[in-house]
Amino acid sequence: MISIDRVSKQFETSRARRHLALSDISLSVARGEFVSILGPSGCGKSTLLYIVGGFVEQSSGAVIVDDNPVTGPGPDRGPVFQEFALFPWKTVLGNVMYGLDQRGMPKDEALARSRELLTMVKLSGYENFYPKELSGGMKQRVAIARTLAYRPNILLMDEPFGALDAHTRTKLQNDLLGIWEKDRKTVLFVTHSVEEAVFLSDRVVMMTSSPGRIKDIIKINLPRPRERAALLLNRRYQDYVVEIEKMMDEQPETRVS
Amino acid sequence: MSPRVSNTFDMAIGVIPIALLIALWQGIAMSGAAPPSLLPPPGVVFGRFLQQIVSPAYLEHAYVTLYRLFVGFGIAVLAGVTFGILMTGSKAVASIVRPIVRVLAPVPKIALYPAFTLTLGYDDASKIALVIADAMFPILLATYQGALAVEPKLAWSARAAGVSPLKTLFTVILPAAMPSVLTGCRIGLIISCIVVFLAEMITSTDGLGHLLVRAARNFQTVDMFVPLITISILGLLLNAAFNALRRYLLRGFPEEK
Repeated sequence: MISIDRVSKQFETSRARRHLALSDISLSVARGEFVSILGPSGCGKSTLLYIVGGFVEQSSGAVIVDDNPVTGPGPDRGPVFQEFALFPWKTVLGNVMYGLDQRGMPKDEALARSRELLTMVKLSGYENFYPKELSGGMKQRVAIARTLAYRPNILLMDEPFGALDAHTRTKLQNDLLGIWEKDRKTVLFVTHSVEEAVFLSDRVVMMTSSPGRIKDIIKINLPRPRERAALLLNRRYQDYVVEIEKMMDEQPETRVS
Repeated sequence: MSPRVSNTFDMAIGVIPIALLIALWQGIAMSGAAPPSLLPPPGVVFGRFLQQIVSPAYLEHAYVTLYRLFVGFGIAVLAGVTFGILMTGSKAVASIVRPIVRVLAPVPKIALYPAFTLTLGYDDASKIALVIADAMFPILLATYQGALAVEPKLAWSARAAGVSPLKTLFTVILPAAMPSVLTGCRIGLIISCIVVFLAEMITSTDGLGHLLVRAARNFQTVDMFVPLITISILGLLLNAAFNALRRYLLRGFPEEK
């Protein structure tokens, strides 16, 4: 379980002014819940995710994960970034094996686990490719496999499909839900796409920008497992999308800092 | 054009200016502007070079120079890369090393050579010390700058997998900074070639630099040019070997243009 308790984050900007990126954010995410954080760019939603990941320190407040306050990164929380952040000097297999290797898992065990994950993300046969030889969608599959390899309880996904074309994006959304259905990890998913948030999530957290605050939290009552084609025709799904889009439009556009 | 064909083509083009330079040399020698005793024609010099390159006594001197070059350069790489990386990882190390680098980097290291010969003697040690002193700073600075510029999400991905900060420094930051590190090493290698020769010219009883000075003092102009040709050919070979190593180490990185 993730408990975000009155977290704020201030950045010192170049002009020696302070920018309040996040203001007094409180949010609880239950075990096995899929929660999306939706907001315009610059609203601090990624910063919030980095704070939960332990990559960025909050200015005030606390994040508690399974009764332990977050003080740094840990293998219980696995990040997936929009930029993939793959190691360019390692092959696909090398990327997935890296964490297991470094933590001292026996070679053959790490190899078996990595191959199993590459099969799960539909990339078996690409073990010896370098990331630069893959398409964006394939790179993100590798990154997801690399993160799942060390079995985090929580996935922190930072606009993971934001850099992909529409077709690849929907394919990866479907595959992600398929993988998630198997063991229902807790997922915190940052996005600026309303459809993506509604399609994937149990709850959608809407944020406003400057300073980043939680505007509203909407529970998505749609049956699982979800299937995209059926959902697109589902009246309730459509209503959610229209309602959330309307609420998003209500907030003024802000300059990107 | 395929890369291989274009490489051969580039090499063929590259030979032309060198041939012109040698032709100019031949022209000056034939014009009588300089007497052959002072400027021997290239044919005579290359003939002597071919003679020397199979003579064990000459090769012994070349070997001595190469030994100093490689030991000095090797230690410079080791020290430069290690300090450069540790500076990135630890504010304490950075605050100690940075002022030292600032003071020592602009000092003309050749001015330290008399001190080196007095303290370390006239043998290998003083020449190696000079090579280290001169080659280390560009490598250190390139490593530090390159490591600072590494995308933080690469390190976050490792830290989230449970890899310690120190291990992350050497298994992620260092390989990610490799393009910059190798640029520093190339500069360091060129400097090493120059400096080892220079040191041998100033005070030495062996090595190619010593052969050149000895020949010049005895007006053996043909023998004076032979070490010069040897060191430039060695430089060419070292550069080619370095490029091959660089291509291998950076095989996963996107092509540079």
